[in-house]
Amino acid sequence: MEYTIGSIAPIFLAPVLAFVINAFIGNKLPRKGDWLATLSIFVSFIYSAKIFGDFVFGKFATDYFVHKTFTWFDLNYGDFVFKVDMGVYIDNMAAIMLLMVSGVATLIHLFSTWYMDHDERHGRFFTFLPLFTSAMLGLVLSDNLLSLFIFWEIMGFCSYSLIGIYYEKEKAGDASLKAFMTTRVGDVFLLLGMVAIWMVIGSVGYVDIYAAIAEGKFVGQTVLGISLASFAGFCIFMGGMGKSAQFPLHVWLPDAMMGPTPGSALIHAATMVAAGVYLALRMYPLMVIGDLTSFIAIIGAITAFGAATIALVQSDIKAVLAFSTISQLGYMMIGVGVGSYNAAFMHLITHAVFKACLFLSAGSVIHSIHEQEMPKMGGLRKKLPYTFFAMMCCTLAIAGIPFFSGFVSKDRILGDALYFGFMAGQSPLMAIVPILGFAGAGLTAFYMFRMMFLTFFDKPRDHHIYDHAHDEHLDARSNVPLLILTVFTLGFWYCGTLTGQSFGKVFGEKTEWFKILVEAPKVENFVNHSREEFSTVDTRAGVELEKAHYHHQTGYAGPNPDEHKIHTAHTIGAILSIIIAFSGVFIAFLMYIKKSVKPLSGKFPEFTKVLQAKYHFDELYVGIIIQKGLLGLNRFLAWFDMGVYDRFAVDGWAAVNRTLFRASKWFDNVIVDAIGVDGAGVAVNLFNLVLRIVQSGRIQFYFVMLVVVLASYIWTINI
Amino acid sequence: MINLISYLLISLVLFFVGVTVMVARKNIVAILLGIELVLNAAALNFVAYSKFVTNNLDGHIFSLFIIVVAAAEAAVGLAIVIRFFQIKETVHIDEATSLRN
Repeated sequence: MEYTIGSIAPIFLAPVLAFVINAFIGNKLPRKGDWLATLSIFVSFIYSAKIFGDFVFGKFATDYFVHKTFTWFDLNYGDFVFKVDMGVYIDNMAAIMLLMVSGVATLIHLFSTWYMDHDERHGRFFTFLPLFTSAMLGLVLSDNLLSLFIFWEIMGFCSYSLIGIYYEKEKAGDASLKAFMTTRVGDVFLLLGMVAIWMVIGSVGYVDIYAAIAEGKFVGQTVLGISLASFAGFCIFMGGMGKSAQFPLHVWLPDAMMGPTPGSALIHAATMVAAGVYLALRMYPLMVIGDLTSFIAIIGAITAFGAATIALVQSDIKAVLAFSTISQLGYMMIGVGVGSYNAAFMHLITHAVFKACLFLSAGSVIHSIHEQEMPKMGGLRKKLPYTFFAMMCCTLAIAGIPFFSGFVSKDRILGDALYFGFMAGQSPLMAIVPILGFAGAGLTAFYMFRMMFLTFFDKPRDHHIYDHAHDEHLDARSNVPLLILTVFTLGFWYCGTLTGQSFGKVFGEKTEWFKILVEAPKVENFVNHSREEFSTVDTRAGVELEKAHYHHQTGYAGPNPDEHKIHTAHTIGAILSIIIAFSGVFIAFLMYIKKSVKPLSGKFPEFTKVLQAKYHFDELYVGIIIQKGLLGLNRFLAWFDMGVYDRFAVDGWAAVNRTLFRASKWFDNVIVDAIGVDGAGVAVNLFNLVLRIVQSGRIQFYFVMLVVVLASYIWTINI
Repeated sequence: MINLISYLLISLVLFFVGVTVMVARKNIVAILLGIELVLNAAALNFVAYSKFVTNNLDGHIFSLFIIVVAAAEAAVGLAIVIRFFQIKETVHIDEATSLRN
């Protein structure tokens, strides 16, 4: 496949076009343009699938990428270098990401046409949905942090609009503001990190950053006393923390469920939260040289475990899913932190698929019974068989049951975490990462099955609701997207083997394609990287590429001295995962089906209350940081503005001006007007008096004058 | 004996008579006559110097030129006087005040 602008640009431009059309004339179109939005994402999907197919089935090389740039603006002047390039950078990771984003978004759009039908905000919803998706696709295509940041902010705006789409509800309005402001905290840091990188290498392109790392340009650079790589990496990771809802900036994500459920599905799965992890993966070499990996792993572990504990006590079906998203994002961050690059990315993809499906299923449930509280559900599996089937598969996936995708990706992360925590010679403190990770995995299995059991099993607890629920019939728009996503919750699509281990191969030669294609960027390959113009056609032959080599024994490309240890860690990790997952499911079964074990919430009422209050983070932020800290600062600034700045600077300047005005008024009146202007008149008048005597108009007088003048000449000549 | 001084004396007398007429008389026609006298005094000077000093015909030609100019001037001047009389019904010089102020 030859990559030209025509084969890449439609991925991003088709949804943008749908957004523009829907924004201006959407209300005049039939069905308010939802078919147009869906179709545009489908066009993106077709083009993404072409690229994906070419990368995976055609090139199948680890280091293949397409990089095309154009100069956005060029302000070079002499030695002053200021040039910003924009462009497209597609490597294996971006190709997989593009397929996932556009594919999941297509199904979400299709589902939304059913879910949002007859909703008063139908048109508005289908205006922002394609813009949201296009921003994510643009972010994936970006070749530098600046355009990534632009799309990042567009996504922030779209999430704001989608969460607050029912803006007349006060909670929705608050939630949208909260999401926007909380992610903004991270965005400020991201911008700061970009500035720090720009200061060193004068560019924010990925390839320039990789090349600078390989050339050691970051060595010895410091800012505020800490190494610049750490500073920049930390700031960029803070941006990712805000977007991907990591502790302590996770507070916005649970509230983000105030929007319509398919919108939540898009935010929680394919687009918004994936962006933060994607950024952390892209900037992985920077995190490594900045010594931030342990920090990232700990943040991820705290998030994964903390959010899982909160999810235990939630009664709203969407709240459970929201906290499970935070928890799973924590696993991805653990993956980034412990150096399990491709497992973290695989978890991003698998999670996007099953979480989109879970949210759409929850949407299907909510749409049919108009209720979100799980204690009022129960026994719905007979009424909603297809939704039940889809949601069950996804729950098995997220809980980490073998043969499903979540098991494969999460197990690899946990295996690496186990190695990282206990066997890699780290400080003993790092053992907290695998411990919290495995504990969170058990809790995940428990709370997801608690949700399933409360919703679909047992007897109906609220007969009024149950009787009014619509019976589900197979429908192309409501059920088919769920069932398609369900197919991809199976693990072998991602790892090529049925179990994620080395037996039961499905794809033959290209088994473990994911692991072979996606690996952390080798920065030394980017030294002296030459840019391609945007208009050129890519003609690199496949033979020039370094085909990936793969060790079947360890599953890792390249030699590793600790191969044996890693293998051991993965074996232990897999066994532990299975045991923990099944025990979590079993406890949930005992509590909610057999009812032989009482739920623990009665035994620990205090702790339950804390969990229900989400560890009081909202109170902490609003009550202490905002009320005590920021409001005080606000008041101080107001006092400074009014008492100091207004009083002395503004009013003082006014007094200076008044004095100057008086002086200039005096000068104008006295010097210019009285002496200059009037004086000139008086002088002219004086001359006038003299001249008037001479110019009498009597001709004989002129004769006399003539004679006198002549006589005076003669007199003069004589003398 | 007739020499240069005699001519110059006569022309001096003519000149001052002309100037006196121009200044003293209020009749415009008389003033024009005074001007003629002044011009004639000048012409007489030219001829006298031509005869006694340079001994060529330059002075004569100049005096002929003056006579022609005087004739033309008299014609124009009299025409103005006639128009003036038609308008003002007088030839008194002090009545010619239209351009004043």
